[in-house]
Amino acid sequence: MTIRYEIGIVDTRNIIKLLLDDFGYDFRDYALTSFKRRLEYIITLYALRDADGLIARLKSSPDFLSQFLSEITPETTEMFRDPSFWRLLRDEIIPETMRGSTSKPRIWFASFDSGEELFSLTILLKELNLLDEVNVYCNVLSEQTIQHISSGKLDLKDIEINEANYQRYNDKGNYSLYFKNEGGSTFFDTDLIKNVSFLKQNPLIEDEPGAVKLILFRNQSIYYNQLLTEKIFSKLANSLVAGGFLALGVKETLENTNANNKFTIFNESERVYKRKNN
Amino acid sequence: MYKAVIIGGSAGSFQVITRILHSLPPTFPLPILLCLHRLKHVRSGFVEALSIKSAIPIIEPNDKEQIKAGKAYLAPANYHMYVELGNKIALSTEDPVNHSRPSIDLSFITAAQVYREKLVGIILSGANRDGAYGLKKIKDLGGLAIVQNPDECQVRTMTEASLKMTPVDFVYNTNEIIKFLQNIKA
Repeated sequence: MTIRYEIGIVDTRNIIKLLLDDFGYDFRDYALTSFKRRLEYIITLYALRDADGLIARLKSSPDFLSQFLSEITPETTEMFRDPSFWRLLRDEIIPETMRGSTSKPRIWFASFDSGEELFSLTILLKELNLLDEVNVYCNVLSEQTIQHISSGKLDLKDIEINEANYQRYNDKGNYSLYFKNEGGSTFFDTDLIKNVSFLKQNPLIEDEPGAVKLILFRNQSIYYNQLLTEKIFSKLANSLVAGGFLALGVKETLENTNANNKFTIFNESERVYKRKNN
Repeated sequence: MYKAVIIGGSAGSFQVITRILHSLPPTFPLPILLCLHRLKHVRSGFVEALSIKSAIPIIEPNDKEQIKAGKAYLAPANYHMYVELGNKIALSTEDPVNHSRPSIDLSFITAAQVYREKLVGIILSGANRDGAYGLKKIKDLGGLAIVQNPDECQVRTMTEASLKMTPVDFVYNTNEIIKFLQNIKA
């Protein structure tokens, strides 16, 4: 991808206002630069020419909103991104999550994933024979994303990187067991996600499964400003049971946020936190 | 006079950047933003290697980290690094740009939008064209554009692409870049 089109701050704010006033979607506290980049990406993708073109399309065609929402959060772009995180999940976090659970533990993707993180997790669970032993919830902004993920067809840009990531995660495994290639596209085995519950959310994540033992929230708060980050971290803290885990991206931190005193650090380099009893 | 320096480099830039950092005093009056192409899956080691000879602390910033004078901020592996309003770092996992994540173009464009004419952009040796458009944006918004002399570069593609895209202020050898930075004022 190269850079084709740039919009200004004023246009960006106008689109944010339209999304709130006309559709009730509140993106006001999303990080400005990333959100602007995403708007530019959507304008290029749908050949809308400029910000006015995007506004006109949103206003004139109600069906377009779902497409817009499925593109507004950046794609995860890699399977098993940060293989050392997935090893930690497999070797320490999931075993501890299963231990002493009388009912199926709840795992919640509170981030807006484009499927890569979800399929990585379910492959991990399958390899541990735990696919039917947990309840997985996955946040989505739009119906379109549910269809996209449920089809198993992910837009994986770089097959070699994904395979290399998987091999670093599990050098004895066979990654090719989990997908087939048809007509130039990669289709993941949708059996992997047949038990997943999708949670339709607004951008402020106002719904939650409750009594969660593990929250995956990697590389999501990077798209929020400080205010929204604070709000969402505090929500996530309230959804976790004592001893539950919160996984952030490797460059995100609870430091300098109010939620910090509700957690202890479980693994510094992978940014995994553990909910305290308070 | 200036608020920040941003440096982009790829193949052949490591020794140049090491020499530059080695030559700057710990009292350097501006923040330095470094966007260097690097292996995606190797998270550690790079900042340590750059730090060996640098009097300036080099940080691989977390998201939302405040940008401060006298520190160098290295774009972390497998993230784009933006400058956000309020003088903060913002990270992103969006698609690679010019096959690169971090992309020099994105770091340069976002820094240009925040610092405008108070920004110095420097492009060093490299094997692709990432950074050329970003340097043009710095120039368009009134900042100062410097390109390492292609004759001195191990790989000249990136500097030549930059020179082709925009009329830069200076084409400098490493020694001249160092001298320029040693005399820069906040």
